[in-house]
Amino acid sequence: MDVDLRPVRKLRESAAARSALGPIIEAVCASPADLSRLRLVCDWIQYKQNFREPVVGRPIGGPDLRGTDTEIAVDLRRCTDIDLEAAIKRALEDPGGLALEPWVPGRDSCIWRFNALYWQALSDWERATGQEYEQSLPGGESDARNTEAARELILELFRIWDELNARRALPDELYVLELGVGNGNQARTWLDEFVQLDRRHGRDYYRRLRYLMGDYSPHVLERARKAVEHHSERVSALVVDATRPGITLGFLNNKAFLVYISNVYDNLPTDELACIHGRTYQVQTQAFLADDDADHIVGQFGTDRPALAKVIDRLLRIGPELLSESAPGQFPDTRTAVGFWRAVWEALRLRERYVPLEGLDSYQVTAELTGEILRPLIEGDGDVRMHVSNGALSSLTGTLPLLHPFGRVQCHDLFLTGSRQYRTGFYGPGKYDGSVVNWVNGPLLQLVASRRGFGVQFTPFRQRPGSNITTLTAQARD
Amino acid sequence: MILPTTVVGSYSVPEWLERLKTEYYQRRISAQHLAEIHEVAIKAAVKDQELAGIDIVSDGELRRDNDVDYFLARIPGVHIPQRAKTDYFDYYDAEVTRPLPELPDDPGQSATLDLAADFRFTRQLTQRPVKFSFTGPFSLSRRIRDGAYSRPGDLVRALARRLNAEARQLAEAGADFLQIDEPFLAGYPEQIELAVEAVNLVTENVNATWALHVCYGNRYARPSWEGHYDFLFPAVKAARVDQIVLEFARKGLDDLRLIGQHGWDKWLGFGVIDVKRPEVEPAELVASRIRRALEYVPADRLMINPDCGLRHLAPEVARQKLRAMVAGVAIVRAGLEGTEPAEKEST
Repeated sequence: MDVDLRPVRKLRESAAARSALGPIIEAVCASPADLSRLRLVCDWIQYKQNFREPVVGRPIGGPDLRGTDTEIAVDLRRCTDIDLEAAIKRALEDPGGLALEPWVPGRDSCIWRFNALYWQALSDWERATGQEYEQSLPGGESDARNTEAARELILELFRIWDELNARRALPDELYVLELGVGNGNQARTWLDEFVQLDRRHGRDYYRRLRYLMGDYSPHVLERARKAVEHHSERVSALVVDATRPGITLGFLNNKAFLVYISNVYDNLPTDELACIHGRTYQVQTQAFLADDDADHIVGQFGTDRPALAKVIDRLLRIGPELLSESAPGQFPDTRTAVGFWRAVWEALRLRERYVPLEGLDSYQVTAELTGEILRPLIEGDGDVRMHVSNGALSSLTGTLPLLHPFGRVQCHDLFLTGSRQYRTGFYGPGKYDGSVVNWVNGPLLQLVASRRGFGVQFTPFRQRPGSNITTLTAQARD
Repeated sequence: MILPTTVVGSYSVPEWLERLKTEYYQRRISAQHLAEIHEVAIKAAVKDQELAGIDIVSDGELRRDNDVDYFLARIPGVHIPQRAKTDYFDYYDAEVTRPLPELPDDPGQSATLDLAADFRFTRQLTQRPVKFSFTGPFSLSRRIRDGAYSRPGDLVRALARRLNAEARQLAEAGADFLQIDEPFLAGYPEQIELAVEAVNLVTENVNATWALHVCYGNRYARPSWEGHYDFLFPAVKAARVDQIVLEFARKGLDDLRLIGQHGWDKWLGFGVIDVKRPEVEPAELVASRIRRALEYVPADRLMINPDCGLRHLAPEVARQKLRAMVAGVAIVRAGLEGTEPAEKEST
């Protein structure tokens, strides 16, 4: 039996975590599992809202838990107050519940449809919860408001532009792109600061500035556009799929001096791959509601159990407002439909299984990248499970061609900065308000960017010490 | 023949070859095995060019890890502390701590890069004329940390003398069309005089047709700089070369005006294929670009080539682009000769 204890820091810090280990082993030994074919994985899930029960079972290499190697995964944070023996027994049985989808790779799970709905119907969600999404962020506001960070970036741009200007190589139009604009606070802070610094600098760069705001949601764009109305002559708003920026922004190839991305990558779809005993697996997932939760929602919203999955699918397709309009008997107003949405979201769980990959090149990371790129990270260093960060990779590789030879991508997000971190912590998925959060595989982004001639550096987000946010900077090297 | 077609130098490096090259730099396969792999790849590259209808072919520079290190690693006096690489295409960290050793009087002993052997291998593969290209002294110097020379230009000159020895050996081996690549020059336009002086050191007393290729960089299929070719003129007119090879397909044709404006009366290697994008140009577009160039350069001084090396294009895309280029040339040739193109290719 393999025992994989990941949260090494918590083991030192938490007596409860340490004291849980003995009972877990006792409970596993008391179970009917074939211990010679069992892996025991202990995590510490920092997200209070997540997709896991405290104890879950995962088949390795087979369709279900019968006759295959099995992984038992335990959340040390939540396992001290439960009947471990019963929980492990349940984890080894058919989990039942109401499946909302077939088994799929993580990036294709319906949790991403929930995520997309959150951003599309953000106003409805905010009205129902009574707080804006910024308030749910750590510290109650986005880092986008940070003027010091904006000032640093702008002064660096001025330095580059001055140099190019001296060589008569400065283009007439100076493009800056922001991907994922939130409520427009970042753009407003940045542009206001730009105007002030430009006045002091005296080169009139503001007149040549083209600030492009790109977001996937027209609603979010409209809100952001209002926030920068006083810069309207310099700002354009475009609907952009962050995972495929080149489709909308091809005209920007080799022109952007700065692409600014804040808290977008951790919110993009991702698969997970694992290497177990030298073999590579894809983690497949299936979203479901536990029977008790499904029954509770059925009772609360007056639908019947067989129809529940269809109603959820309908919600994800048309949103709460139209759901209310189309089924006024069941959802008399949008608020009730949002209530249904939130109840489903809160109860939503993922089960997982490991499916063997027949060669890394048979796995498509993005439309352009095969799994071969993962080889240095996933093979040759023992067992590991890691995010592929497909959406973030697709976004970054689509963004890099937009950069002027002296341009840079600056991205504030939750990044792992070393592969070994996967052996010592849990990095998602978690629930963040109504959205999904996964830490981003920084070493993989670094590797892929490097193969395209860009150096990637990670630095702690200096303007908020102690924050989990890391700053990625990508620039052409050589 | 009017409007001869050629390549700039490098040919598509397939993903499998990239992986094998990296395996070598991580010491997982031997130098001997890699050399044999390179020979097979070069044969295929030459065949691809012949099948596409290219008049003057190259070895595709497939032995080279990148445009710089293949040379620096063989030049005595250039110190490379770490020769293993994470990826074969990465640049070495190179330095000189004392002036490069003086060249022996015997040119046979001073040609330590042995480029002539590379040429001889290609020469016996094909009946067609072969162009042989190598990176110029100015660009090589930009990748060396210079702790030896008090005047920065002296390192460039010392490298130029080394390359001159190689060029003499190449000419002795039968190479009659040589090209100096200066991919870094556009980033340092103020140093054009030094670069031209070094080019003239390289070509000195070498009996061959010489081309000078200046582009805006093609590392990882990205331009390293942006701008215009204004900086080349008039200094480049003092270069003892027979041809300048410039990129136009990606940048647009505006800089053609410089050819007329400065009275460039030698050959122009005219870039008609964008090597940074995978979309294959229609033959008619190639033809229209050539017709524009003919407004500035007579047909008997115009050679047709891609903008730069094809190394970053997928093999099939590279093949298609070369076929499109040849088909475009055929259209223009037919127009000039008052005949129909021998074969219309659908690209």
